[in-house]
Amino acid sequence: MSEKPILTDEQLIAAFQAGDEHAFVELVDRYKDRLVNFVYRFLHDMTDAEDMVQETFLKVYKNKHAYREIAKFSTWIYTIAGNLARSELRKRKRRKTYTMSDLSFDDNEFTPVDPGKGTEAIVFNSYAGEEIMKAIYALPEPFQTIIILRDIQELSYEHISTILDIPMGTVKSRVNRARLKLQETLSYLKE
Amino acid sequence: MQNTDCAYICEQFTEYQENSLPSEIRAKVDAHLASCSSCREIFQSLSGVLETLHNLPSVKATTDFTSTLLSRIDTLNQETTWQRIYHSSYSKVAGYAIAAGLIVAIGINILIDPISSMKPGLKSNFAVEQTNQIQSDESLAEITDSSASHAADSLTLQNATINSQNQSVQLVSGKK
Repeated sequence: MSEKPILTDEQLIAAFQAGDEHAFVELVDRYKDRLVNFVYRFLHDMTDAEDMVQETFLKVYKNKHAYREIAKFSTWIYTIAGNLARSELRKRKRRKTYTMSDLSFDDNEFTPVDPGKGTEAIVFNSYAGEEIMKAIYALPEPFQTIIILRDIQELSYEHISTILDIPMGTVKSRVNRARLKLQETLSYLKE
Repeated sequence: MQNTDCAYICEQFTEYQENSLPSEIRAKVDAHLASCSSCREIFQSLSGVLETLHNLPSVKATTDFTSTLLSRIDTLNQETTWQRIYHSSYSKVAGYAIAAGLIVAIGINILIDPISSMKPGLKSNFAVEQTNQIQSDESLAEITDSSASHAADSLTLQNATINSQNQSVQLVSGKK
């Protein structure tokens, strides 16, 4: 019996555009974890992150014909999810200005649903995941986005350049500055 | 405070860690880190941050994520279908209601005031007919009046004839 060929994301979205709803479900299965992980790093709240990712897929469903095969499907869906997450974050920050006192590490706000790989790795150096998450949350938005895309989602510079619509050189320099800023924030918090 | 060299070296850290620097710049960074404790400290700290970042436990969607999403899509589709049906039937019903309302309004208007509710052309024709009728009635009345006056005249004549006949009789008897 011959195995079903594995379709690319772009082939699946094309099939969905042609009316195949199973192709949409396949895309959901491929991207739901990645996107929840991505959005969670912005919002620091699992329920909100899931809601945002649901909204992302609903947008894809309703606007399937807006996708054109000039970009990768992943770029498109990351752009939608990133925009929703950043918009939600801006709303939150308008409601409440984040202060350094919010960054106390006494509470247990960071409680990942599924530890997955590398749980034991959190404690192998001087920074805990919880500290890093709070420091990312406290970063200015452009730095936050670039750190999440590059160092958590581990996307290529090229991919990030397309998602953020900025030149590759800018992506690289911004990654460097964001990492230094993160390191500086963590050092400050440790003092 | 970092000097220009330190700032330049820090700018290279990402590519240095990713082994994507040209060899001569890489050698420069190596040499600087060996001699500058401040930059070395930053670099070590940064390496620790990156290591933690890359090993952060990933979170995943809950098990009912897809089923929740699909039921939301079902609801959305039903709403869209019902909205379509609602809008199409609503426009039909609205059309029928307006037509029926107009018919009833016209009917009532005709019953109350049949002339003024006529179409302007029809109304003027009817008005002309009415005017003609009135005029012809008036002519008839005039004719009747003139007949009456003729009758009165003939009565006067008759009286005058009788008078003249009487005068003639008086003349005859006077002669006698």
